[in-house]
This record gives sequence, structure tokens and C-alpha cells, in this order.
Amino acid sequence: MKLKILPTNLREKKRYLVFQGISEIPLEREDVISLILGAASELHGSCGTSRMGLWVVKVWNCPDLGINTIQGIIRCNRDEVDALRAVIPTITKFRGMKVGFHTLGISGTIKSAITKFIKLKHLD
Amino acid sequence: MFFDFHIHGDHELVIEAEKLGYHGVALVHYSEEFEKQPNLLNSTADNKKIDKNTSRPLIQKGVEIKAKNPEALKRKVQKFRKNSDVILVQGGSLKINRAATEDPRVDILCCPYRRREDTGINHVLAAKAAKNRVAIEINLKYLLINRPKQRHRVLSHFRQIVKMYRKFKFPVIITSDANSIYDLRSPRDLVALATCFGMTSEEATEAMSAVPLEIMERNKLRNGIIVSGASLIKNENMK
Repeated sequence: MKLKILPTNLREKKRYLVFQGISEIPLEREDVISLILGAASELHGSCGTSRMGLWVVKVWNCPDLGINTIQGIIRCNRDEVDALRAVIPTITKFRGMKVGFHTLGISGTIKSAITKFIKLKHLD
Repeated sequence: MFFDFHIHGDHELVIEAEKLGYHGVALVHYSEEFEKQPNLLNSTADNKKIDKNTSRPLIQKGVEIKAKNPEALKRKVQKFRKNSDVILVQGGSLKINRAATEDPRVDILCCPYRRREDTGINHVLAAKAAKNRVAIEINLKYLLINRPKQRHRVLSHFRQIVKMYRKFKFPVIITSDANSIYDLRSPRDLVALATCFGMTSEEATEAMSAVPLEIMERNKLRNGIIVSGASLIKNENMK
């Protein structure tokens, strides 16, 4: 049996962080998840990461923006946006190759995150 | 208005930095590079390669001085001061840290904690840095290239510097020390990262905007200074 959905006042308030990454090798969604969760655990530890409520919502390959360029959306708790933003610049390497991530913006809904920060023509 | 005053690279990096939201950068060369290419600073100033579609960010010419002893440091500062906009001194040794903080011609002391167990800055050097307005660098590449298990040590060094900065009010500057596009980070992300070592977002923003602006303002006045406390004011209306 499925659990009944929580009332709105008891749900966690969320924010959506849009990021862009470049790398020397192509990155898949699973790679991005492991990179972000690994970097968050290294910087804030398990306790701090659990408070963030991280979830990688979507990752797009954007060949128009450059070779091996990706864009994506991460969901986190509203109070921990700055903590997640601090994690993004600490991602430096993946499998021995250089990678660089930076934040494009923060939004309250996935729809507005896409319309504001991700140009639709680049999407697959 | 954000600035990154420690970038090793060419104009490609400047364009990338501009896309990330920087208004100005300092393209820095090591002092040893000038022995092979004496005209390096002139080529740095030439920013014609930058695409005309982008608004050109402000480019400052920087020299990072590596010196073995305080005497060599003084000689090199004397040599490069007139031709460059920003003078950075690579710290690490206590003698160099002290000589750099005592010299008002130096703009930035880079990584005084390099390869050290402590921060390389004590209350004496902090007071001298505040008096001579020598900015102490918080080098984020030094944090990020360290192995994750060693990062706590660098973060504690940064925390110690921030503690002294609040007491002695010396300028602190946050730089990326990037030498490729993979090392560049968005300034807002760096402000968020600075909260991890105890800086407030206002302090971090000041370290990336007000301090570089102060360095540029001081360098404009520097040419007119005759002796300490007396400067030549040019009045264009007087004939």
C-alpha cells in the first residue's frame, strides 16, 4: 500500500539549483550523481549531506555549448542552498581527468529553472 | 563587481572568467618567465584577441615573485614594480612572509601557509600587513588540489587567517589561481565556499571586490608618491 502524501505544511521546502559542468571526458547522469554526492560527503560529511536532501533531477548533454559540456538540475532543501552551492566548486576530478562545475542559478520550481537558466535549444 | 587577481593563462581564460561573472582579472606570470621573455608584460596588456562581442573585462598585469631570501625579493620587487599592475609574492618561508608584509610595494602575499604546519602568519606579521596594506591570499586552488583527507588542515589555516583578519583588519583576497578553464569557478559559488571556513558572505564579497579595487586605486596613486606620506598631485588645469 502506498503511503498517503504529506500535507503541504509538513513537506520539506525545496529549491532547484541549475549547474553547468565541463570535463575532459563525457559524463553520464550516474557519474554526476556520484561526483556531487562524493563532494558533498567530503566537504560536509554524512551528517551535513543528509540535511541537504540532495537529488539529481535531470542532466542534459549540451554539445552546442562546448565539448563534454553538461547542464543539470539538483534538488535540495531550502535552508541548505548555500551548503550545496559550496559543494559545487569542490568538484575537480573524475577518474583522474579534470572537471569543473559552476552554478547557473537557483529557482523554486523545475519549470522556472528550465526556462530561466537552461536554454531549450540545447536540450537533447 | 567581482575580480580574480591570480590567473595564470591567456585570453581564453579571461573570456571564460567574464562569462562566469568576473569584471576583471589579473593575468599573472612567474618572475622566472621574464628571464626567457622580457616583453611578456607588454603582450599581456595587448587584449586584441578578445572577441569584440563580449564586453572586455579589465585585465591587470601581474607578476608572481618567487624569491629564495628577502634580499632577492627586494631586488625583484624593485625590478617589476613600475612595469606591472599587481605584485604577488609567493610565500611559505617565514623570512619571505615577513619581508613581503613589511614591503608596501607588494600587493598580495600568496599562500603564506604553503607547505607549512601553521598558517605562516602571526600577530606581528598581521599587524605589518595591515599597516602596509599587503593583502593575504586565500588560494582556493591550494584547498581544492589537496587530497580530500588533507583539506581539513587547509580549511583550519584559512579559519585562522579569518580570525586574525577580524582582529587586525589586514586585507584578505580570495583568488582561484586558475591555469585552465577547469579551475575557474563562479564568484557566487566561491562566496558560498568561503562560509565553510568561517567568512560571512559580506566578508567574502569584500575579499573579491573591494580589496582588488583598493589595490587598483593604490597603484594609480603609487607613481606620484615621492616619499612615504608625500605624493605629487597632478593638476591638469595648471599650466
